[in-house]
Amino acid sequence: MIPRPETGSAARALLLLLLFLLAAGPLLLLLLLSFGEGWFWPALLPAEFSGSAWGSLASGASGTRLLRAALNSLLLGLSTGLLASLLALPLGRQLARLTGWRRMVGSAAAFLPVAAPPVTLGVGLNYTFLVSGLGGSFIGVLLAHLIPALGYTCLFFMGYFEVYDDRLDEAALTLGASRAQLFRPVTLPLLRRPLLEAALLGFLISWAQVPLTLLIGQGLVSTLPLELLSYVNAGQDRFAAAGAIILTLPALLTLAVAGLAIKRTGAVVA
Amino acid sequence: MRGTQPAYGMLAAFVVAAPVLVGIAYCAAGVLGLLGDTAGGSVNWSVLADAATWRSVGWSFWAAGASTFLALVGAVAVAALCRSTRSSDRAARALAVLPLPIPHIVAALVGLLVLAQSGLLARIAYSLGVVGAPAEVPVLVYDGLGVGFILTMAAKEIPFLALIAISLAGGDLRPVEESARTLGASPAELFRRITLPLLLRGMMPATVAVFVFVFGSYEVAAMLGPTAPAPLPVLITESYAGASLERRTEAYLLSLLALLIACVAVAAHELLRRDMFRRLPG
Repeated sequence: MIPRPETGSAARALLLLLLFLLAAGPLLLLLLLSFGEGWFWPALLPAEFSGSAWGSLASGASGTRLLRAALNSLLLGLSTGLLASLLALPLGRQLARLTGWRRMVGSAAAFLPVAAPPVTLGVGLNYTFLVSGLGGSFIGVLLAHLIPALGYTCLFFMGYFEVYDDRLDEAALTLGASRAQLFRPVTLPLLRRPLLEAALLGFLISWAQVPLTLLIGQGLVSTLPLELLSYVNAGQDRFAAAGAIILTLPALLTLAVAGLAIKRTGAVVA
Repeated sequence: MRGTQPAYGMLAAFVVAAPVLVGIAYCAAGVLGLLGDTAGGSVNWSVLADAATWRSVGWSFWAAGASTFLALVGAVAVAALCRSTRSSDRAARALAVLPLPIPHIVAALVGLLVLAQSGLLARIAYSLGVVGAPAEVPVLVYDGLGVGFILTMAAKEIPFLALIAISLAGGDLRPVEESARTLGASPAELFRRITLPLLLRGMMPATVAVFVFVFGSYEVAAMLGPTAPAPLPVLITESYAGASLERRTEAYLLSLLALLIACVAVAAHELLRRDMFRRLPG
């Protein structure tokens, strides 16, 4: 047991309170706003509660729009996650095998799409997407989301294969198995978990993406974050709060399922 | 197995980085007027001589630096103060990491709802009798200093940095601290001369990652940042969407500038990571 430096329990209690507010506050505030009625200055709480904002958001033309955006977001997220994890598995494995200066180049290469500001990628790649007919299309937006997602998932698999124990593979090879024979009974079961975690990571990157969708999608591909942005710009706070809840809950759920896989990437998420 | 086929590894590196390299190439071509969607002719560097450009770059550096610093302080506080297996410490560690997947646009909306002049904070101040009307509340959003942006981004990035800090404090640091203690270090000395410096050094790569991420992030800057100077990512989109072809050339040039800054950060990240692995035992 390492002794702790002398710190007041008051400071620790304050820290705990602050962390609680940061964790629970946002969702609580969004729930209050989306279900609240007549929440005018300087009231601390809404005058009354009703589901009217949720009701009008879900019905009629706005409901259809939101549903289309949600479906687009879901499809984009799932395809980005799936493609990114399947591509990053072999790429990350090769990158993890590099040593010395090559190792640094490999790691920098995987970090580059994560660090590059998405608006600059959108600006730099828009022309290519337009010329190839992908601008403003679902596939175009998917490919754009895949760029940062592949960076994250490659970093993830680099971290994974750094500690991956290939003695099981080697043992099976020594016993006369071929690489192909090895795959189903040995390699695949070992990789199922990291593949799922990487896919969820890719899902999160796509799910929260705004600038690449705006620039490459040219406003023709609607997603949940873009709907949220338009509610905010239109001053429809209650719709925005409801949209934010719809956007946040699956993300929190994803993290719960993925565990803390993100630690392996060593880079910021979403 | 390691290092047997560096050619495949280098090919993998190229594949991952290729879209960014293509983006850089197109921005450069755009600056030179080769893409046909700009005014063309001679290269227009005037945007680099414009003081407004550098005010934007400066603002983005300041705001990203300040929010990264605050997030780092928060993360280190959690990792250093809440290390035991006590349930309150475990709760603190879990709570610190929980908001990790909240999308930036949601964070921006919450920042707006809390910090705006008639927002939650202002209402609490009113109920305590500190202010009488929204107009008396200090402006914390769209402000030149970027207070709203900085606070929102700091809160958004604490979970990631806390995740790294907690993992360092719970693992790599333990054996070093154990030896220092055996050698007679007092608890205060241990914290000041071993735990804190090693924690900070171990967190440097992640801190650089957070900085460059905040620097380039669009949503929070667009929703909470000032209009003048516009945060660099906002300035880039505004130039790109601008009506004139000259402004589009500006967008390519500003994108190149932002990508250059990102490349410097990537290099710093890799150098810091290498140093970390050299110096941190375990």
